[in-house]
Amino acid sequence: MATLQQTKSSNTNGKVTKGRQKIQIKKLENESSRQVTFSKRRNGLFKKASELCVLCGADIGIIVFSPKGKPFCFGHPDIDAILRRFLSEDPLGSTSTGSVVPCFKEFKDGCQEALDKLEVEKKRIKEIEKENEEKKRNGQFWWDDPIDNNMGIEELEAYAKATEELRNNVASRANELMGNVFTTAATTTMTIPGGLGNGFPVQNGGFGVGESSGYGNFGLGIEGFNFGHGHDLDY
Amino acid sequence: MARNRVKLAYIANDAARKASYNKRKKGLLKKVNELSTLCGVDACAVIYSSTCNSQPEAWPSTAAAYRMLSDFKTLPAAEQSNRAMTQESLIKQQIAKAEEGLKKVHEENRRMELTQIMFQILDGRGLNTVKKEDLIDLSMLIEQNLKGIDIRLQMLNESYVL
Repeated sequence: MATLQQTKSSNTNGKVTKGRQKIQIKKLENESSRQVTFSKRRNGLFKKASELCVLCGADIGIIVFSPKGKPFCFGHPDIDAILRRFLSEDPLGSTSTGSVVPCFKEFKDGCQEALDKLEVEKKRIKEIEKENEEKKRNGQFWWDDPIDNNMGIEELEAYAKATEELRNNVASRANELMGNVFTTAATTTMTIPGGLGNGFPVQNGGFGVGESSGYGNFGLGIEGFNFGHGHDLDY
Repeated sequence: MARNRVKLAYIANDAARKASYNKRKKGLLKKVNELSTLCGVDACAVIYSSTCNSQPEAWPSTAAAYRMLSDFKTLPAAEQSNRAMTQESLIKQQIAKAEEGLKKVHEENRRMELTQIMFQILDGRGLNTVKKEDLIDLSMLIEQNLKGIDIRLQMLNESYVL
C-alpha cells in the first residue's frame, strides 16, 4: 500500500519530502519521532473516527495517552455520553439521546455547512497553486528559479541602484496620488515621467540617502517602512 | 481500491452503510493499534453501531477499555476536557488550517504578481500604469528586495576580502 516515492509537494515551499514509506509497526526508537508520529496519527485517527460517525451514524469514544502521559480523547456525540453509556452499561444510551435528538438535525446541518466550507477553501487552494505552476512553467517567473550566483558585484550594484531609483519613483508616484505617504530621497530622475527607460541609468554623484530636499514630508505613514535608512553600500 | 470521493454525509442506503461501517471500523481499529504500538502509549476505543445498539465493540478488549475509561473518568475535569475533541472542534480545526493555507497561497500569489510588475517597470513599463492600491505593496516588496541585494553584496564583498 505505501510506496517509496519522491514528491515535491507544491505547498511546502519546495521542500522535497520522502513521500509515503512503509514502516514496521513496532515502538519507534527515536523519542521525538514518537512525539511527532503521535501528533500526526492522533489527528488522523480522530478524523477517521469522525468520518465513521457521520457516514454510518456510529457513536464512538477514543482515548489515547501521549508519550508524556497526557490524555487526549475524541467522542461522538461527546466523550461524557460515551463514558456514561459504556460504564453504566446503559446500552441504548437513552439518558443521553434525550438531549441530543432535538438538536441533532441542527448539528448535522451545521456540520455539513462547515464541511462544505472546508471543501471550498481546499479547492481554492488547489486552483491557485495550479495557476502558479502554470505560470512558472511558462517561464513567467524566471526570477524564482534557483539563483545562479553569476551576478557579479558590478551587476549587483547596478541592479541595486536601479532598484533604489525605482523605490524613489514609486514613492513619489504614491505621494502624487495619495499625498505624503512616503519620505523620499533626492534623485534626479524625478523629472522623468513614467518608467525608468532602458537599462540601468547611473546617478550623478550617487544617492543622497537620507536626504530629502524639496520633499517636506517626514511622516513615515507605513509602519516598519524605513525609507532613507542607510544601506551602507560601497560604490 | 475504489478511490471515489465519498460525500461526508450519512449513507442512506442500508447495505452500503453497513458495508462502509464494517470496513471503516476495521480500519479505524487498525489505526488505533498502530498508534498505540508505534508510540508506545495506552489507547482504547469504543464503537457503537447505529443498528445493534446494545453491544459496543471495544478495543483492545472490553475489560481493558472499561478500565481505561473508568480511570479517565477519575481524572480532574480539566484534564478530561482540555484535550478533548468532538466533531465540532475537529471540523473547526480543519477549517482553520484550510483558511491558513489559503491565506499563504494568496500571499504568495500577491508576491508573484507584484514581482512581475516590478520587473516590468524596470524594463520600461510606465509607473502611471500601476494601480494606486498596488503602489504601497510594491514599495514594500522593493524594500525587501533591496535588503536581499544588500546581503548578497555584503557576502560577495566579504569573500573577496578573504
